[in-house]
Amino acid sequence: MQKKVYFYATCLGTAAMQKMVLNSIKLLRAADVEVVFKKDQTCCGQPSYNTGYFNDTKKIALYNAEVFQGDLPIVIPSGSCGGMMSHDYLELFKDDVNYEKIKQFSSRVIELSQYLDAIGFKPVDKGEKIKVTWHSNCHALRVQKSIESNKKLLTSLSNVEVVYLEHEEECCGFGGTFSVKEPEISNAMAKAKVEDIIKSGASAVISADGGCLLNIAGTLSKLGYKDVKAYHLYDFLSARINGEKL
Amino acid sequence: MKNHSELINTKLADTQMRANLDSAMHALQDRRLALINSKFKQWEGLRQRAKNAKDNALFTLKDRVLEFEKNATKNGMKVHYASICEDACEIVYNLMIEKKISKVLKGKSMASEEIGLNHYLEKKGLIATETDLGELILQLGNETPVHIVVPAIHKNRYEIGELFAEKLGVEKESEPEKLNAIARVHLRNEFENLQMGLSGVNFAISSKGAIWLIENEGNGRMCTTSPDIHVAICGIEKIVESFNDAATTDTLLTPSATGQFIPAYNNIITGPRKEGELDGPKEVHIILFNNHRTNILSNKDYYEALRCIRCGACMNFCPVYDKIGGHSYDAVYPGPIGEVISPQLFGMKEHSDILSLCSLCGRCSEVCPVKIPLDSMIRKLRRDKIGEYEENAPLGASELEHSSLEKGGFSAFTKMATSATLWRTGLANASKFNWFVQSFGGHIPVLSRWAKYKDLPKLEGNLYKEISKLDGVSYE
Ligand code: SF4
Repeated sequence: MQKKVYFYATCLGTAAMQKMVLNSIKLLRAADVEVVFKKDQTCCGQPSYNTGYFNDTKKIALYNAEVFQGDLPIVIPSGSCGGMMSHDYLELFKDDVNYEKIKQFSSRVIELSQYLDAIGFKPVDKGEKIKVTWHSNCHALRVQKSIESNKKLLTSLSNVEVVYLEHEEECCGFGGTFSVKEPEISNAMAKAKVEDIIKSGASAVISADGGCLLNIAGTLSKLGYKDVKAYHLYDFLSARINGEKL
Repeated sequence: MKNHSELINTKLADTQMRANLDSAMHALQDRRLALINSKFKQWEGLRQRAKNAKDNALFTLKDRVLEFEKNATKNGMKVHYASICEDACEIVYNLMIEKKISKVLKGKSMASEEIGLNHYLEKKGLIATETDLGELILQLGNETPVHIVVPAIHKNRYEIGELFAEKLGVEKESEPEKLNAIARVHLRNEFENLQMGLSGVNFAISSKGAIWLIENEGNGRMCTTSPDIHVAICGIEKIVESFNDAATTDTLLTPSATGQFIPAYNNIITGPRKEGELDGPKEVHIILFNNHRTNILSNKDYYEALRCIRCGACMNFCPVYDKIGGHSYDAVYPGPIGEVISPQLFGMKEHSDILSLCSLCGRCSEVCPVKIPLDSMIRKLRRDKIGEYEENAPLGASELEHSSLEKGGFSAFTKMATSATLWRTGLANASKFNWFVQSFGGHIPVLSRWAKYKDLPKLEGNLYKEISKLDGVSYE
């Protein structure tokens, strides 16, 4: 696999999880990968797509294909946005004249741990013993199918014990604009997820998706669970590799 | 139409219902998974075969319907056609009047719910009595089904015991066996003078002119064999070509629905009692009804919804359904499949508000035995709802009003997301959740709705500057 890539920060990463973006790029550097950061990058268009604004979303997709020309892999620290760009774009452009152009772009999109897995990256754990649990993002699980690689990275950390949730494959209620349109239902789902996390006995929950993470972290903190932390996989991984405290 | 948020908030606040549903749905999920893992070697292959079988019937539906009519008639059944719900109700009504029957006993049938039969007959002074245990509980409590397979699953045994005591004048019980016994005694009285029985149809086999019914309690069999007249109500999408096709699909149905390997009863009905036979109805009537199914069939984005075999797995696995229950969908069909078909069967105008009841987690599509892409259909219906539909818009979509506020918000967002300069100025000094606010043009109080339940993250410095400083990274 080519060891030079484009990095796609995602809109949520740029706006609300900047540390995660920097850590992800540093992880790629630690794996000896050359990184190109296109300063004109924006968003994958998932918010408008899921709300039904397909024409708006098409414009955003075409913009992305324009910004990320060439044949470098496009590495993204989110299975959800990855699934949007590698699979949903194809569905969106199914009968469109720009299908081939989009297909060329889509076929290069890969989630960060899938990429790290493909180049054989093996993290060395320098952290203290810790028991964590895991949250799978739905779109990453069922569309981008990157959860397996996420877990592979996480469980390869020698001092980290991973316990799984009873209802691991249940949505946390984020769903992008769903959490805005149906905040009460979304909250009921987030609460169920948080209860499951607390029941697991882990001291932290890890996820590889910004949206779910903000949703879960925000709910944990609102409900007053101060002892259980929520970390993005790539922040967690960076800290473990560098022996830093989180 | 009930008020959407009011309805949902009431259901969310019903802690007893939520606890009942939570435990029931998780039990159904576990049973399904355990069964598939222990008994099936090629579940995925079976799904593909069932999908093909149903697609084959849908692609040739006109021929299949005619073939079914021909063969069923040859077998001595009487085939009726109904275009809309009222037509189907009227056929049942006329049959009852013609035969001077004032009461009909029903096996479980979602089709009869869809056409609103009980209510229709009641208004005309005739009675339809439910014999399926779940449906009986609902009828006694004056409720509609909360689920398409287990219609009274939102009630626990204590609540049912109380209902029986109140309505049937029996002792209050809570043991399932005792509750069953009460229902049995009650229904035996009903069955005694049965003249006309009504049922749904799981599969109608066109090449043989036969219908296939599955059930667990035996009441369906009573309704279809003991009276002189049996009437079956059948949506046209229930037709498959061969017994092989029906058997493939049937093999997926009960495992998906309840995690049982096979149902207690498989009833295959090939016609009325023949000369010399001792039992069975003297007349069998099949009402084939459309109710906008041909509209769905003609739409490339939605025809696949007609593959549905009404197993209910999509609702069993839906993380929204178990929080709000089936009544929140305010339609005959709840859950993910309900979200897809209710607006199309009954009109977008009254039923498109339920399109927000989905986080697009995709679990429904993953478990649907006939591979209906439910989540992507829900997304497309949202597209149709905002007026971006392509051809063959769903029923009533063109009459909908659109929110210019939301539309304006998304075009502002799109403008930002397709302009590097606008985006960077917007995000370089990212204030809290800027993209979220921008995505709605800042018009609606998005943040406050979110922040009501969640603490918001704190944001740091200028990402672009930090990245451009990194070693080994070309910032271009
Ligand atoms: S859509 Fe699929 S899962 Fe849902 S009821 Fe129909 S067949 Fe079952």
